[in-house]
Amino acid sequence: MKKLILKTIIYIFLILVALEITVRIFHLYTESPQRFIDKYGVEKMTPGNRGYAVTGNRNQDVAEFHINNAGFNSYRDYNPKKEKFEIALIGDSFIEGFHQDYYNSIGKKIENRLKGVEVYEYGYSGYDMANQLQLINAYQEDFELIDEVILYMNYKNDLKRAEYKPNTEQIAMFRSPLFQIRDHIKLLAYGSKIGILEPLKNLVTGKAFSNQKQGFKTNVIETKTPAEIMKRDQRYLDNFRNLVRLYGYDKSKTTLLLDSTKTSPTFLDYCNANGFKYIDFSTSFKKTTKATTLIYDWHWNDHGRELIAQVISEYIKNKNKNFVAFPIGNKH
Amino acid sequence: MLFNSIEYLLFLPVVFILYWFVFNKSVKVQNILLIIASYVFYGWWDWRFLILIFMSTVVDYLVGQQIYRNIDDRIKARSWLRVSMVFNLGLLGTFKYFNFFVDSFVDMVRVMGYDIKSTWTLAIILPVGISFYTFQTMSYSFDIYYKKLVPTKNLTAFIAFVAFFPQLVAGPIERASNLLKQITDARKFNYTQAVDGMKLILWGFFKKLAIADSLAPIVDDIFVNYGEHSASTLILGVCLFSFQVYGDFSGYSDIAIGTSKLFGIELMSNFKFPQLSRNVAEYWQRWHVSLSTWFRHYLYIPMGGSKVSKLKSVRNIAIIFLVSGFWHGANWTFIFWGGLHALFYIPVFLMGRNRMYADNVIGENTYLPSVKEMMQVLATFSLVTFTRIFFRSPTLTDSFGYMKQIWTHFYYEPYVHPMGYRMIDFFVLLALFNIYEYLIRKDERSPFKFKSQITRFILYSMVVLGILLFYDDGVNRSFIYFQF
Repeated sequence: MKKLILKTIIYIFLILVALEITVRIFHLYTESPQRFIDKYGVEKMTPGNRGYAVTGNRNQDVAEFHINNAGFNSYRDYNPKKEKFEIALIGDSFIEGFHQDYYNSIGKKIENRLKGVEVYEYGYSGYDMANQLQLINAYQEDFELIDEVILYMNYKNDLKRAEYKPNTEQIAMFRSPLFQIRDHIKLLAYGSKIGILEPLKNLVTGKAFSNQKQGFKTNVIETKTPAEIMKRDQRYLDNFRNLVRLYGYDKSKTTLLLDSTKTSPTFLDYCNANGFKYIDFSTSFKKTTKATTLIYDWHWNDHGRELIAQVISEYIKNKNKNFVAFPIGNKH
Repeated sequence: MLFNSIEYLLFLPVVFILYWFVFNKSVKVQNILLIIASYVFYGWWDWRFLILIFMSTVVDYLVGQQIYRNIDDRIKARSWLRVSMVFNLGLLGTFKYFNFFVDSFVDMVRVMGYDIKSTWTLAIILPVGISFYTFQTMSYSFDIYYKKLVPTKNLTAFIAFVAFFPQLVAGPIERASNLLKQITDARKFNYTQAVDGMKLILWGFFKKLAIADSLAPIVDDIFVNYGEHSASTLILGVCLFSFQVYGDFSGYSDIAIGTSKLFGIELMSNFKFPQLSRNVAEYWQRWHVSLSTWFRHYLYIPMGGSKVSKLKSVRNIAIIFLVSGFWHGANWTFIFWGGLHALFYIPVFLMGRNRMYADNVIGENTYLPSVKEMMQVLATFSLVTFTRIFFRSPTLTDSFGYMKQIWTHFYYEPYVHPMGYRMIDFFVLLALFNIYEYLIRKDERSPFKFKSQITRFILYSMVVLGILLFYDDGVNRSFIYFQF
């Protein structure tokens, strides 16, 4: 009996070591930069972090990231000046761009289309409108020098808060010893990513026992009544108004980037009536016959990103008609 | 409780340690632990249905005594046997088949021109494993009736025999002559047996998690949306279902047999590489062996088996397959599935080739199979896979619709996985899996029978890596045969 237990333990240990080596060799794990909250209360990533984010259901997509001095994933550092033309692109994981190499981001694609323009990408997974407006408010001096600000808005998720509060709990969780261990043992990082550790987590948190029959249920599609939708839209609109009131909003140079088919008409009407400009990329996405999102998740694929870069570039060109090209050094 | 759940991962070592270290003073105490563990294992799903298992256990325990007491009075003994059959088949009839009969009756009347509305169907759920444990308890009464077994007076052992958790919900359907004897006898820890058990458990998990669960989303997608696919995709779907159901059920059986070994108990083999069969008869000697032998012993042979005229033998074969189909589920699709197997089996039987491969495997004395054998395997796989259209489709209309779609859209079209996985990964996985199964084809109970320790270690690591690579956390992890 003792022999069985001892040999089992040895075999399990050796197999785990072999798997750790395999996972490292084939880079099956994903790396993620350290996150922190700066002195202005802005959530960002630790500057100088480089690595490879691995995505895809078979971990087939490897993208290099590079966290610049500002704490965001970009190939360039941000140094806004009066004599340059800069665009700030702010948003969540869609802008953060861990599904593409940092030197081929939406910002870079815009720069390729608008020569001389510098695009500053402030992408951070989980950013909502509160995060975005608070960021602009916190770095007011920089943003005063930036010529155009594009805020990516996912209506369904981004207006749930009326006020910004830094997510200290999540940051603390990422910095906890458990997560540190997970990040150092690549097999654990990989296991966590594919969901195989989920049952273990549920066991530790007690969910395994409270929701044991959940696995037998089919997916339930959440539907809302028109009254519930109206109530939600009103709440989102109130939140938006409050955020604008709290953190400010320069209508002359700030533009929302949104998909009108996924945004409430109430909100769009409000924007139209009150001078909040927006770029609607839904038409461009509808026109194309190619897929615009990655096949395994909802983030934009290269073609989708190309279209986004195109609509933003065209918008900037139209808005600044005096400048057909944007040569370096020219300021409109 | 599912084998592939975190609860089981904790449950098994706890029961194992208690069994060998705490409750090891006597067999009776060990059996009490097995009963408690088995009832917890089953009750984890729904404790209310424990009463059915308990009732089935008590009825057959008492019936067994009565049959033995009247063993020389065949009429009385038969009457007692009927009590067991009526009770167990009554349970099955109520929980599994009642609604089917009512609906079929309503449909039949409707065909005759009368439109009636069914108000008799019951709003009941099918208790997990009911077809398995009722057949197991019935086999006990049958064996006593046929004078193959003396009933046990040890109620504790009998309860443990019926509820033995590794095989309670999906078999193998054990005979009392094999399992009950082991439960009544003293058991001693055997290192080799336990190691073999752990290897089988690992191999079973690979079949379930890497093969069956990874194929499930593809098969579901193709069968649900069959009207939108071309012939190439539909053929792919049913072929993959063949591998899915094999991985799922044989994986379960391997885990069950392996777990039993950890407790010093040997269960019968349930799968012997059926995908390597050279004709349909051989397939049935290798697929779900515990069920096919059950039908053979308790239905086919009592009806005269092959010892009667050719015509009657053919009738017996047809009955066996139709009943076997019906055993799987209360649906005409399963009856058609059984009927098709009868159609494919009967010619083999009439040609006298049904026992031809009973004692040997493909490539018996060679490394590689002959071209003839490969063609035979391909033909058998094609026939069996064709019947799977009925096995997998929810209704007969869907089965025929699926076949019609193949016929009317007979062209190639590349298939895109619903989640965007590369299909080539699955083809490589299946190719490697089949090659490996061919290599180990002579012993289904030893999937890692290699002399070199390093080779074995590499294989263990590769199997675990395979599970990780093909793990899909979005899949319903239940076993297909739980619904039967």
